[in-house]
Amino acid sequence: MTTRRTFISTSLGVAVLGGSLPMALVRAAAAQPLPSLGSSVDPRNVLVVIQMAGGNDGLNTVVPYTDDAYHRVRPVIRINESTVLRLDDRIGLNPAMAPLLELFKEGHVALVQGVGYPNPNRSHFEATQIWETAATDRPTATGWLGRYLDRVAPSATPGRSVLATNGAPIDFTAVALGDQVPTALLAQHVDVPAIGGLGSFAYAGGKDIASKHSAGVLFDGARPGQSPYLALIEQTARAAFHGGDILRQKTAGYKPMATYPKDNLSNQLALAAQIIGSDVGARVIFVTIGSFDTHSDQVGQQNRLLGYLAGGLNAFYKDLDAHGDAGRVLTMTFSEFGRRVQQNASNGTDHGTAMPLFVVGGRVKGGVYGDHPSLSDLDSGDLKYHTDFRSVYATVLRDWLGRDPADVIAGTFDTLPFV
Amino acid sequence: MKLDNSTDPQVGYRPPGPLEAGALDRYRGHFGSRQAAHLVRRAGFGGTPDDVERLAELGADRALDAVLHPAEPDLPFPDSPDPAELYDIQLRVKNQAAQMWYLDRLLRTRRPLVEKMTLFWHGHFATSLISSKVAPAQMVEQINLFRAQGLGSFGTLLRSVTYDPAMLVWLDNRKNVAAHPNENYARELMELFTLGLGNYTEDDVKNAARALTGITLAAGSRVVFQARLHDADVKTFLGRTGNFGPDDIVDIVLAQPVHQRFICRKLLEFFVYSDPEPELVEELASVYATSGFDIGKTVGTILRSNVFFSPRAYRALPKSPIEFVIGLQRYMQFPQVPLDTLTWLGRMGQIPLMPQTVKGWDGGPTWINTSTMLARMNYVNEVVHAQKSAAAAAPGTGSATMAAGAGGASMPSASSSVGTSMSPASTGPAMNGTTVSTMPKFPSSLPSMRDPGAIVASAGGLHAERVLDAVLGGVVQRDVTSDLRGTLLAYLDGVNTDNPQPFGPETFELRTRGLLALVFTLPANNLN
Repeated sequence: MTTRRTFISTSLGVAVLGGSLPMALVRAAAAQPLPSLGSSVDPRNVLVVIQMAGGNDGLNTVVPYTDDAYHRVRPVIRINESTVLRLDDRIGLNPAMAPLLELFKEGHVALVQGVGYPNPNRSHFEATQIWETAATDRPTATGWLGRYLDRVAPSATPGRSVLATNGAPIDFTAVALGDQVPTALLAQHVDVPAIGGLGSFAYAGGKDIASKHSAGVLFDGARPGQSPYLALIEQTARAAFHGGDILRQKTAGYKPMATYPKDNLSNQLALAAQIIGSDVGARVIFVTIGSFDTHSDQVGQQNRLLGYLAGGLNAFYKDLDAHGDAGRVLTMTFSEFGRRVQQNASNGTDHGTAMPLFVVGGRVKGGVYGDHPSLSDLDSGDLKYHTDFRSVYATVLRDWLGRDPADVIAGTFDTLPFV
Repeated sequence: MKLDNSTDPQVGYRPPGPLEAGALDRYRGHFGSRQAAHLVRRAGFGGTPDDVERLAELGADRALDAVLHPAEPDLPFPDSPDPAELYDIQLRVKNQAAQMWYLDRLLRTRRPLVEKMTLFWHGHFATSLISSKVAPAQMVEQINLFRAQGLGSFGTLLRSVTYDPAMLVWLDNRKNVAAHPNENYARELMELFTLGLGNYTEDDVKNAARALTGITLAAGSRVVFQARLHDADVKTFLGRTGNFGPDDIVDIVLAQPVHQRFICRKLLEFFVYSDPEPELVEELASVYATSGFDIGKTVGTILRSNVFFSPRAYRALPKSPIEFVIGLQRYMQFPQVPLDTLTWLGRMGQIPLMPQTVKGWDGGPTWINTSTMLARMNYVNEVVHAQKSAAAAAPGTGSATMAAGAGGASMPSASSSVGTSMSPASTGPAMNGTTVSTMPKFPSSLPSMRDPGAIVASAGGLHAERVLDAVLGGVVQRDVTSDLRGTLLAYLDGVNTDNPQPFGPETFELRTRGLLALVFTLPANNLN
């Protein structure tokens, strides 16, 4: 996020020169583009992140169905050996996840087990901040993907071209689907658009078309000697006013080539596929599905949500594949924490720690990474992690996005071989 | 595009030059509607054109007296939301009840400065419903604390905040006990609330945390000091050694001169401009110290000062979403805050009682991005087109009559009932208790006094230029270039559109609403 100090000190010079102030310049001054790391990495690669908000119960997502301890601690909410979708002779997927099992069998799914970090936080908010900022001690002002954007997005780099209309730059390098930009995408120099839908990311003049025409010129008043705040507002308003039109024009030719289920996650993934398949330069797309906080009567609720996830991922993969894009899109899931091993008195589970996450894509090396965490060797009733989530981030950054993880994450973390 | 100084003062932030002598001396310059509107925006949340004109007529000194020491009592606002909602089983209902209770007073209060300071302290001691740790009832109690003490002594306020239930929960000090010290509050007390980074050591944090042990919450969110949980050993804190307790920590922090500059800089950034000169901070710090850390006197000095009314301060701050939205609702004379306001504020990036981090809202340019600007534009359009007119809510009067007989000097009497008081709530037929109480609890569209009929009436007739100037004057004090004014006039007259009918009986409803949306969207209206 732009700090007040950065903004004023960087904008000042421009204002004194007497020019109007392109937002890109305002936001850019301190960003130093670094050379890309891996020349073997396709610069067209796209990362899609799916946040499973609320804390997904990993133990009923990837089930250790042969472990007696599992059936003992979850007498009511356990998943039976007869319904589990077997991945191997010890673990299987939740029965609602058949569409994901199909992708797994085709080798497009990496299951990373036992993901977490030291001294796990069980607050939704704080744990989410930890995952999104990749800082376990004290959250940083920028998100891990935001710091990546500060290195690579055209609008963070002076002189690089950005989609523009009427002189207003708009940068779709990263897009948050939904109402708000998540912490993970908060950058210092890049303005990430939050897009609820192609229709809603638009100036809504209502029934009064004439006022929309007039609104279009309201922001064209930038002129010499102008206040930098006024220029920032005009530039940003212009980008906002016209940005939706650019996005709609650029994505108009795209036709989905898979049938998506009718739920909110699938709607977002269908839009993600459309944005990826159009020429707007998208490299990171953030998608959210909520309601995983299953403190009571967990089974119906969680199975429904996991069904959305599996069905959405399957349709998304097929759509991308039919457009020839499956090989350049990697989708990863995360949740702020897993849940308590023991079920509670309301047939639900309380906040816990380590969990599995999924990585899906045409060039993902499918398979199971890491053992299922032990159900007997626990940390005050919770699973012990063995893979730091920042190892997953480091892998994605280095091997998929071609950046040195050290640019983005404090500390050094091993990478995993799933790319 | 040519610069037309006759209609466009240099609006917006100006880079700093040498600070002029007497920056904090009392302002003796011209006090017209621009200065009055500046005061109404900065010391409150904006208002109607009549609010501005009334202050302008008082002159600077009496206008400042009215803002700083209002004679009238405030409306009888409830001390808390309806308990049925505040203690509802659903978190969403409880949170909304607290948030709507908070916003309602911003809209209707006759003492906007109290609410402005409450927002300042809410952002400063940023406590939040976001993590679901803090109960909405505790948040309500904290807001009441800011309302009661926000313009009093900073020392008293800091002590109250240290014992405030919401704060004890939010920064974990209730869990801070001798056996297991928790440093969260001790650290933020210095870093965020009083001294700033670099003015204390990690040892100071550890020792302060030990001294702050033992304040806990008993049943019913009651604050108790439990001696058995308190670390009674000797501590060394900021160069002093003793068997310190919580109050000693507050006193020692207050005795650090650096806290004076920290608080004064933040007040200047909030009320004046975003990069106050170090000399200005020093000058204000000495006013603050002389006053015995009296926030009311310090803020009074700021608001009466030359620097507050200087061109460098004029429209020099981006409006926060709350300022933008409540400003629109006050201008439109909403009788109450609609529930969907919370959704829109979320899209604009500022959910009340729910800052995203312990640092509060970063503010300034971080309010401005494509998504938040789109939210501002679309909110404005939704409001102006969704608002029923007050006349429509009370059939047989107002705009229906006026539309039929429009066009001359003989306008209906609506204008006399519009905006005759500082408070929208005390004004006009739709604003009395009867009408409001028959409305749905949280309606998404409410009758507004500031409907097209009322605007046309106050402008003196169905005359495009007069209506344009009334709206431009009332919303942005005509801070537009002549080119922009031309664009807006062309819109009103239907030039270059598929409906070339001029502004008149057939078109004024839609176009006056459209004009309001355009003017509220203007870059100048996004600046405070």
